[in-house]
Amino acid sequence: MTTSQSTSLDDPTAADPVVEIRNATVRFGMERGESRVLDDVSLDLERNEIFGVVGESGSGKSMLASAMLDAVVEPGILDGSITYRPEAGDPIDVLGLTTNELRTFRWEEIAMVFQGAMSSFNPVRKIDTHFVETLSAHDYDVDEGMERARGLISDLYMDPERVLDSYPHELSGGMKQRTLIALSLILEPDVLVMDEPTAALDLLMQRSIVSLIEEIKEEYDLTILFITHDLPLVADLADRIAVMYAFEFVELGPTEEILQHASHPYTRLLLKSTPNLASPIEAMRPIEGSAPDPVNVPSGCSFHLRCPLADEQCVEVDPEAYSVSDSSVSVTGSDSDSDLSPDSDATSIPNSDAGDHVANCHYWEDAPETIPMTEEWDVEGIDAIDSAPGPSRTADPLVSMEDVEVHFETEGSFLDFFSEPDTVQAVDGISLDIYENDVVVLVGESGCGKTTFGKTAVGLQEPTDGAVKYRGQDIWDLKRSGGDGTMSFDTVRRALQIVHQDPGSALNAHRRVGTSLEVPLKRWNPELDGNDRKSRIVSLLEHVGMSPAEDYIDRYPHQLSGGEQQRVALIRAMLMNPDLILADEPVSALDVSLRVEMMDLMIELQEQFDTSYLFVSHDLSNARYIAEKTGGRIGVVYLGELVEIGRPEEIIHDPQHPYTQALRWATPEPDFEGGGMGGESPIREIDVPDPTDPPSGCRYHTRCPEAREVCTREHPEPNEASAAAYHEAACFRTDDHHEYWNSPSITDGGD
Amino acid sequence: MVTIGWRLRRLAQALFTVWAVITLSFAMIRLMPGNAMGAMMVRFEQQGMSPARARELVELRLSLDPDKPIHTAYVEYVLNTLQGDLGTSVFHNEPVVDLLAAALPWTLFVLSWSIFISFFIGIAAGALMAYWEGGKLDVGLTSWAVLMGSIPFYVLAILLLIFASYRWGIFPSGGRQPTGVEAGFNITYIRGILYHATLPVLSMLVASGVASLGMRGNSIRVLGSDYLRVARLRGLSDYTISTQYVARNAVLPMYTTLLISIGEMFGGSIVLEYVFNYRGLGLLLYEAFNQRDYPLMMGGFVLITIAVVIALLIADMTYSWVDPRAGGQNSDSY
Ligand code: SF4
Ligand code: SF4
Repeated sequence: MTTSQSTSLDDPTAADPVVEIRNATVRFGMERGESRVLDDVSLDLERNEIFGVVGESGSGKSMLASAMLDAVVEPGILDGSITYRPEAGDPIDVLGLTTNELRTFRWEEIAMVFQGAMSSFNPVRKIDTHFVETLSAHDYDVDEGMERARGLISDLYMDPERVLDSYPHELSGGMKQRTLIALSLILEPDVLVMDEPTAALDLLMQRSIVSLIEEIKEEYDLTILFITHDLPLVADLADRIAVMYAFEFVELGPTEEILQHASHPYTRLLLKSTPNLASPIEAMRPIEGSAPDPVNVPSGCSFHLRCPLADEQCVEVDPEAYSVSDSSVSVTGSDSDSDLSPDSDATSIPNSDAGDHVANCHYWEDAPETIPMTEEWDVEGIDAIDSAPGPSRTADPLVSMEDVEVHFETEGSFLDFFSEPDTVQAVDGISLDIYENDVVVLVGESGCGKTTFGKTAVGLQEPTDGAVKYRGQDIWDLKRSGGDGTMSFDTVRRALQIVHQDPGSALNAHRRVGTSLEVPLKRWNPELDGNDRKSRIVSLLEHVGMSPAEDYIDRYPHQLSGGEQQRVALIRAMLMNPDLILADEPVSALDVSLRVEMMDLMIELQEQFDTSYLFVSHDLSNARYIAEKTGGRIGVVYLGELVEIGRPEEIIHDPQHPYTQALRWATPEPDFEGGGMGGESPIREIDVPDPTDPPSGCRYHTRCPEAREVCTREHPEPNEASAAAYHEAACFRTDDHHEYWNSPSITDGGD
Repeated sequence: MVTIGWRLRRLAQALFTVWAVITLSFAMIRLMPGNAMGAMMVRFEQQGMSPARARELVELRLSLDPDKPIHTAYVEYVLNTLQGDLGTSVFHNEPVVDLLAAALPWTLFVLSWSIFISFFIGIAAGALMAYWEGGKLDVGLTSWAVLMGSIPFYVLAILLLIFASYRWGIFPSGGRQPTGVEAGFNITYIRGILYHATLPVLSMLVASGVASLGMRGNSIRVLGSDYLRVARLRGLSDYTISTQYVARNAVLPMYTTLLISIGEMFGGSIVLEYVFNYRGLGLLLYEAFNQRDYPLMMGGFVLITIAVVIALLIADMTYSWVDPRAGGQNSDSY
């Protein structure tokens, strides 16, 4: 294990590498100087392995994907060498292929799945033409190929006829992503590169797809390079993992090694910053600082500006790959000051033995001690969630929703004037009270109605039935009657605010930050004069970490990062002095390591401004983090119904509704202790049923692993789910005397 | 989310517009101070007719009876209009419908050529601009398009008239058909018609400026799209990519622009035909205006409105057929 630092291509030390990447570098000439967005990366991909590459946005991980197919977009220049070794036949020098050879090579040998499945299909052509045109472009037999396509689609748990006959927009996000996987495999490639294939999907779908990838890999004999920002997600799947930072690998090794003995400070910090269900929330810490700009990567170790272990040597000498599994340090021929010339740069040639674990850090031995994973919370650890006390929920509720329904009608087809429109029951009979200083996090899959419900709660969506009351007043009555003197619709509008998922769209692009923030202040605090307003804004900006605030005040939204825009949007909402803020997926657009920081900020502002929050999220770890820190509740929404609600203690550790249990299963966890978590998928169907035609009885019965005959007929009402306070679930299993227990199971005959 | 039968609502909206226009024209004729009816009565009486005779004539001309109570008169007027009876022209002393029907084909002839050529040029130029984005051709064509887009068509019409007709004498300065040639399906006549229509059609080509800029933007967007990148990686031929991917997706949004510009061009034809003394619907209306020929004016007004409403209705209704995305959506967004 100490041998093989060989870089020679003709020396296949690996058992059976299918792709060998050597010193791959991608450069862009930019006005500010040359930028290197992939810096001398080398990698052996073993045949039939799943190799995970983890990095935050801007770490160069997508460049690596493009490089594998020699598809770096102009004007980027790719250097180095990439060798593809087919099972039979001679090795292929990918970068030496002609345009035509490359056209054949891509998709037939190495195919790729992008993150942008939503937009990877031609919107005006049906799915089947995508398959047909790919087959004919490569001179494959179309009939045979379409047979294979049908097989692939049904292997991915979809109905081939329906999918092939659809336009892309008619499929849900999860179906589009799976269809794209089928499309990538249509020419039977050996290698599949997946670049963030699940990032835009909700967790349950992510997990379902990840389990499918494992099945597909076995069945079609694939080698997979899986690129993601989500370490826990890939940890469940990959044989080996490489962590990327600043356009190069900083640590590489077998998955278990990386999880249990992460040795690079960045890997350790990344693991700690990821919201998850297992570690105590105090252990989740954001990484200070931000990732380097490609034009201006720090000298020496590129992580030294953010690294708690950094010293002189780190600034001066670029660390090479130190072998971790064996403590003998390999310092073969390291030129110091090696940053200037790429050739003399010490590089991380991974040992081709898959058992090897390397970290590019001078002090990898000290990292575990300096950056402990669980710190002193070790003992109480995992099961002892103890959330903040939370508000007393005895006084009158702030906003109360009574049996709220929102039904949308969809249009019919072309020239279809008179047929009954389909009705989407986006929200169907939810009751919920939100109190002063209360926090409720709604979780559920895309299309389950949680966003519509949230909008209804803050008066942005009128319910088709039921009532939304603000301090006892029905707000839609108030709007129609124009108010009764004590309260007007305007007051309600101000009291209920929203912070959007996409902060960019919420801010006026033509207004400077200062101006955007002044408007609400002028309106609601007319007693302040210009100077007071300015100092208020400055202090708030500084407070949320945007300093020097004077500098930020004069910027336009596009001059801010996503996180900064989100903060400005948040401050603006806060300046209205609202009683309740609806935050729709406020952190899902941010990098994993920034999420905790943003959530902390929101929680802090809540205390300062004395508001309540209604969060909408598809991510149970984020939900748990917020609810636990604020003493809030988590509400689980499925197909327009609230199926379970309770404090995080119960929802995370004692979920009663089978759907909550499925969400729990879908939430990836970094497993420091070793041993897989995973387990069988607890859902019988991957896709959410059509919301225009929800299943009878319990709406979850089509996917529920516990469903029995009675569930298809009767509709369960919310019921006390455990002895804990505020814990309710809508499932017959919470009632020990229900006829459910005598009803025959319906799951055996199913799939 | 689109709600209940928007097609039905759209249709109702169109019908409402037509009804509103008919009502408005009734009101102008009947109720406005110094209204058409009063004006006509005065004119006939000035010509020495007895009030009774004048009244009779007015009734015939306007196809409404001044003595009837207003609501009955209104209902009758609407019914007559819907049946195509728009009264009789005062000046020409012919049914308005016949006059309009005779003039309309000439206008449609100029308009359809204008639209066809503008969009053809616009789409082609836009595609070229996008393909060489940032290059010399792009910069040149963009400036040309911006220039075209900002000149009003009548300014171009007058310039063309001055140069191509008066100065250089290449094209006739007015008229719609050659003189001294028998109307019919013969080469000389058809050539004469095209010859006379050239300058009006050229003036309307300013529309191609807007179209080409629109096309340029669409194409650039499509060229940068994810699906194009995936299509390239899948090894599709350049031909498939340019026709099935770029062209289709870039031209689609032009469809609505096209139908909307039909409406605009109809409006523009009044001035255009006046400038070129081209005897089409526009000139007819212009003259009716000068001669205070109310029945003709109102008839033309109603006709143009209905034409525009129908064009827009077709645009809306067929868009979902041209672009599958305009139909239903999936439910991920709730
Ligand atoms: S080499 Fe130094 S700066 Fe870089 S990660 Fe290791 S300790 Fe930190
Ligand atoms: S009621 Fe039946 S189908 Fe519904 S969640 Fe409970 S067990 Fe499953």
